[in-house]
Amino acid sequence: MPVGIVQRDAATAEFFDGTARGDLLIRHCDTCDGWSAPQARTCPHCASPGLSWAPAAGTGKVVTWSVVHTKGLPPYTVGIVELDEGPWLQLQLTGDLPEDLADLRVRATFEHPEGGEAVPVFTPARVWKAP
Amino acid sequence: MSAVIAGLGITEMGKVYGRTAPEFAADAVRLAAADAGLTVSDIDGLLTNTGISGDVGLNLQRDLGLRDLRLLSEVQAYGSSAGAMVQYAAMAVESGMVDVVACVFADAPLKDPSSGAGAAYAGAGRRPAGWQGLAAASGIYSANTMYALATRRHMRTYGTTSEQLGHIAVAQRAWAAKNPLAQMRDPITLADHQNSRWIAEPLHLLDCCLVSNGGVAVIVTSADRAADLPQPAVHILGWGQAHPGYVMGPGSELGLVSGAAISGPTALKMAGVTIADIDVVELYDCYTFTVLLSLEDYGFCAKGEGGPFVAGGALGSLAVNTGGGQLSSYYMWGMTPLSEAVIQARGQGGERQVPRHDLVLVSGNGGLLDHHSTLILSPNPR
Ligand SMILES: [Zn+2]
Repeated sequence: MPVGIVQRDAATAEFFDGTARGDLLIRHCDTCDGWSAPQARTCPHCASPGLSWAPAAGTGKVVTWSVVHTKGLPPYTVGIVELDEGPWLQLQLTGDLPEDLADLRVRATFEHPEGGEAVPVFTPARVWKAP
Repeated sequence: MSAVIAGLGITEMGKVYGRTAPEFAADAVRLAAADAGLTVSDIDGLLTNTGISGDVGLNLQRDLGLRDLRLLSEVQAYGSSAGAMVQYAAMAVESGMVDVVACVFADAPLKDPSSGAGAAYAGAGRRPAGWQGLAAASGIYSANTMYALATRRHMRTYGTTSEQLGHIAVAQRAWAAKNPLAQMRDPITLADHQNSRWIAEPLHLLDCCLVSNGGVAVIVTSADRAADLPQPAVHILGWGQAHPGYVMGPGSELGLVSGAAISGPTALKMAGVTIADIDVVELYDCYTFTVLLSLEDYGFCAKGEGGPFVAGGALGSLAVNTGGGQLSSYYMWGMTPLSEAVIQARGQGGERQVPRHDLVLVSGNGGLLDHHSTLILSPNPR
């Protein structure tokens, strides 16, 4: 499934500025240097509200995934990816995916649907070949 | 002055069109009051919980013509709300601030197919902005998908299989066959479960709850007041809640441990019993997986052994979701397990009545395993 259209709001403006230029921005704690997901309002490590935006490396591994079957659409895959910095992101998984995605190394790429913000997706970090 | 459930009201249920959620709610309260041998005007406390179609709130007081209430609130903790409402009602009764509290949930997400509108749960077509919009644009807009992610994590961690989950669906359908209120009463086999279409892998259609229109209400009052009322009183012996606040990062227990691990011991301790004493288990079952995880977290089996437990015949010896649950009877959020618990505790289960029903455990679950409630009910006082 191609990604859908999403518009920014005040909370996501900087994040989507990042995706537009190919950066996956996450939150970095000014107090404890801990990383958190882009949606975080408070540091999950030290409870500080002082969070800044910083680009993630964009690489990580699949924690869990699902192939979603929706009437009228081809099946598509979504998952939770643990970034190498730690935070979990729930996004679509695209590209040539093996059947078992557990711990698969992935990297973020960006899709640019017409009329919406650039949407990050994860794809296998290396080209995967069926055995 | 211990609190009891003295009345239960269940409206027409399922594909019932042309009535709004507030209308179902008012009907459920009237039915519950009548069941309790009370008039609606005897109600002096009202707690409401609205489903996704909305609108079951403070206005229900006027819809019922109730004057001079001494307790009125809308409660929202998603699928754990029914348990939470009974807890708040019990505390209000036990404190003496109120005598008769009606707790009600109603929803009308199903639209008449002849009207051309789809179920409100479908989710597609909504196009929110911001973070919610990013999830939707990524194809993550349904509870089915979120629970599929949690289920897969349990499978990958503990080796749980889809066939094991199927045992839960099959066992609950067998209970539903004996429940005249159940929407789905035709028996199913493990093969039917395995062959049912994928919703979001690893969840098949028969892993997922129904969608229902309707309303359910219970009346909570004091044991003293209930002594003169017609129905057998159902004593509220213990209760608990847990809201894990899962961290979305390394070490997260999402999909591995639910709030039942905390809510259960809290409720059992209050009731002065142990999990081994429980006779009837009514678990929130939005998905088969929710049942499996809850069985582990309440301690009916060890962590990670829920799959072999349910596949090894445990559902033949342990009475779990005796009305068919949300998978096969009706989907009224936490009122589904609560209503069946009241029926079983009273001994009114008819063909499906569990012979020994001195202690009934009821769970509620909301969000993506984010909110949990537990009640311990009994036909006997503490
Ligand atoms: Zn911090």
